Amino acid sequence: MANEGSDLSTFDEVQGIASDIFGVAVAKLTADSSPDTVDTWDSVQHLNLVLALEERFGLQLSPEEIDQMKTLGTTAALIQTKLQTSPR
Amino acid sequence: MAIVIQPYRPEHESAVQDFNRRLQKSSGDPNLVFSQSAVPRWLPPVGNSPVWNEFYVAVDASPGEKPSVRGTYALTQQMIFIRGKGLERIACYHHPLSEGIVDRKYASVGVLLARDALARQPLLYALGMGGADTPIAKMLKALGFTLSAIPFYFRVMHPAKFLREMHALRKARGRRMLMDIAAATGLGWIAIRSAQAAASVRAGRPNAGPDFAVDEIATFSDWADELWTQAKETVSFAAVRDANTLRILYPEHTATTRRLRVSHEGAAIGWTVVGIRRKDAKFGEMRVGSVVDCWASPKNMLSVVRAAVRALEKDGVDLIVSNQNHQAWRGAFEQAGFLKGPSTFVFAASRKLSEMLQPLETNQPLFHITRADGDGLPANF
Repeated sequence: MANEGSDLSTFDEVQGIASDIFGVAVAKLTADSSPDTVDTWDSVQHLNLVLALEERFGLQLSPEEIDQMKTLGTTAALIQTKLQTSPR
Repeated sequence: MAIVIQPYRPEHESAVQDFNRRLQKSSGDPNLVFSQSAVPRWLPPVGNSPVWNEFYVAVDASPGEKPSVRGTYALTQQMIFIRGKGLERIACYHHPLSEGIVDRKYASVGVLLARDALARQPLLYALGMGGADTPIAKMLKALGFTLSAIPFYFRVMHPAKFLREMHALRKARGRRMLMDIAAATGLGWIAIRSAQAAASVRAGRPNAGPDFAVDEIATFSDWADELWTQAKETVSFAAVRDANTLRILYPEHTATTRRLRVSHEGAAIGWTVVGIRRKDAKFGEMRVGSVVDCWASPKNMLSVVRAAVRALEKDGVDLIVSNQNHQAWRGAFEQAGFLKGPSTFVFAASRKLSEMLQPLETNQPLFHITRADGDGLPANF
């Protein structure tokens, strides 16, 4: 399952944000998409992804959490967990 | 993988050497290298020094594996004078290196480094960076830094050699031919000298100006404190340049730069530090002099620039370069016949620092920033 471990709507939102930032069609981004598979996912765009997610979901990602953002799937799962555990 | 950023200690040195080897092997860029020593050779943190370097490493400590360094950065901690606020401890962020440059698996390391630096010192700036379009500059902009280019000035001393050796301008075949013709016929000499004279006239060239004397000095003493005090209110932002700090920045044994005291009727009116830049492919075989640093009240700036030019001329340089931000210094360089060129020397101020420097519209032209700021000295010499 492409978005295993994360809520579908959260994954969709992360996927949409990533699509805008990386300039890649949504359809081409899966839960397995990573810096190794997306040409435009470099360190600058990684930062832009972090900042966009923080703004969209109103949360702050710690260094450990940023380090966990290896794929879009793990990123969506991370956001989902934070949304469930953090007071908003 | 679990990346932890921590101060660089001697036990990390072998992992930093491995990191350097991986970066250089994959990128082919010999400049991608971090200090092999955990103790900074340039501005080590000793005693109660007012300016020092701190090194940090991003250690990848995956369970069961030998810890590896995946990123590095340095902070130069220094006292900065901000008009209306006094002295503030501010840090310069430099030498950020991430394994993400050569291995996308580590794309997050650059973000972690920059955020770690900001967490340690919210009043942060970066300088240089090779332009506003480089990854590091883009990253800092995304983090809310305010970017501005520090103007670049040059004065051609030997036009024919400049035309033959200025590789950065000779990339296109047609232009290369024109430059060769200009060098051979003497037309280039006329054109460059005319352009420099015109720049001087446009800047409102004054008369000869006051007589001044120039003395090469071994070290800075009390007179430099007086100059610092006299002129600091004419800038809105400047790294402290009192005698104590200058002695640390430009120690007696430094062979790469010369320290010049400029005086009028025996009294110091300013100082400058000049040097010969290391070989750089874009300058070909030219001997390039640099006005690295300078300090004076506005009325004496032109004398200081002329003193620097005179000293470098005696050294036989073909070209003199300088980066200057303060509007009065820019005017003095133009009056001395310097031309303005495209700058890749960028100043980036963190959000907190930018807030402190408001209103930027009026304060930014009064920032005293030169090639000596940031990590400029070891990087260029």
